Amino acid sequence: MAIHEQLLAAIDGRRGTEAADRLCEACVVLFDVDAAAISLVFDGANSGTLGSSGEPARTYDELQFLVGEGPCLDSVTLRAPVLVIDLADRDEGRWPVYGPAMLDLQIRGVFAMPVVVAGEYVGALDLFRIEPGQLDGEQFSGAVVAAELAGAPLLDLLDGDLHAAASDPLSNAWSDLNSLSRAEVSQATGMLVAQLDIEPAEALVRLRAHAYATGRTSTDVARDILDRRLRLDAD
Amino acid sequence: MTEPPRETRVLDAVVSLVDTLLEDFDVVDLLTELTERCAQLLDVAAAGFLLADPLNQLRLLAATTEQARELELFQLQADEGPCVECYASGQPVSIADLRTAGDRWPRFVPAALDAGFTAVHAVPMRAAGIVLGALGLFGARPGELSDADRLVAQTLAHIACVAILQERAPTPATVMPQLRSALASRVIVEQAKGLLRESLDVSVEDAFLLLRAYSRANGEHMTDVARRLMTDRNARPVVVSAIAEFATPST
Repeated sequence: MAIHEQLLAAIDGRRGTEAADRLCEACVVLFDVDAAAISLVFDGANSGTLGSSGEPARTYDELQFLVGEGPCLDSVTLRAPVLVIDLADRDEGRWPVYGPAMLDLQIRGVFAMPVVVAGEYVGALDLFRIEPGQLDGEQFSGAVVAAELAGAPLLDLLDGDLHAAASDPLSNAWSDLNSLSRAEVSQATGMLVAQLDIEPAEALVRLRAHAYATGRTSTDVARDILDRRLRLDAD
Repeated sequence: MTEPPRETRVLDAVVSLVDTLLEDFDVVDLLTELTERCAQLLDVAAAGFLLADPLNQLRLLAATTEQARELELFQLQADEGPCVECYASGQPVSIADLRTAGDRWPRFVPAALDAGFTAVHAVPMRAAGIVLGALGLFGARPGELSDADRLVAQTLAHIACVAILQERAPTPATVMPQLRSALASRVIVEQAKGLLRESLDVSVEDAFLLLRAYSRANGEHMTDVARRLMTDRNARPVVVSAIAEFATPST
């Protein structure tokens, strides 16, 4: 089974934070790490841990928001993965506070893959290892796939009307994820940003919510917005 | 009027593209230019780069056209058609006459014929032993790609790979994040097209041309301008007015 199928099987149709937790649990099993967490760096006020493989993972992850430095924050800023093979390495000084604090918690290896929603780097999948060591090629590419999938629970979290979406049997966040990256959906997202004076991620959430509510595909809704047959109301 | 021989034009294109690679460049802009060169050098009507995201879905990164109907055709290839076959097999695919391929791709073929294309070809894009995607070529007249054509297409596809992966020597670990980053840039560019369509009341095609021309005139990367438009709320009105002003100078 391809890695994305294994991850999808682990998520088993769950949504929101529950999906994020399951994705993290699957990462621990599949990529030989000891803990995993998904965190969101949106606008300063909205940062935090969305899902985790368990309490320790949540602790490792939340610590970076407390001290203001760490793998998730760096991977969003750099728009690239952050890979620390051994925090105990003398030359490894990138986090003067977070690094020693993690060593106290017995964590040596830290890896973060950025999560992208609506073209924006909004968070990261953080992986933690007790033993130092590199992610091998397959673990690395698997983690990239997991980070790609993590976009769906992040979108859920941004959607205030998640329950309506989750109870709609027609809605499938996971098959949706592909159509949400199509050109017309991005273009319509841009139009909504101008029309409603909102940010792109919120615009994408609004577009998707309208598709759920009307039982149509995101692509169809996007086309109607582009052709000015449909206008979404401001809140 | 005599045109220089094709070899000269190919070399010209390669030299100018590689020159760009040695400078600071914008990946979506450069790949769009590559598709334009493909169309000229190979005498095809349209060309586009489809790259795979981490979930193995092909996504359009750049194309000669911003026409909705043709973009749609490229996107349809995420599901079926020469590009997705080329991506799956890692081998070039060439259909000299689409009318014979209706059974092979029941959705793609009628759509392509409708759009006025009769021949399609795809060459793979590879790095670090991975197939990254495909360069798709659409001809308005039936016909094979000659060996020379295929070589030209493959060369331009290689340049596109280098452009996407330029920062580091490619390994499987570096290839995927860079691909994701290029695809995220394209998403932002598409959003900016929509934003400009709404704000300036232009078509999405014109919005793209405007964004590209404005960025070039200001010595900026198209994706940087697009990113500022989409993610910097305070800069947004200023950039929109600057682009409006650029489109229709007041004096």
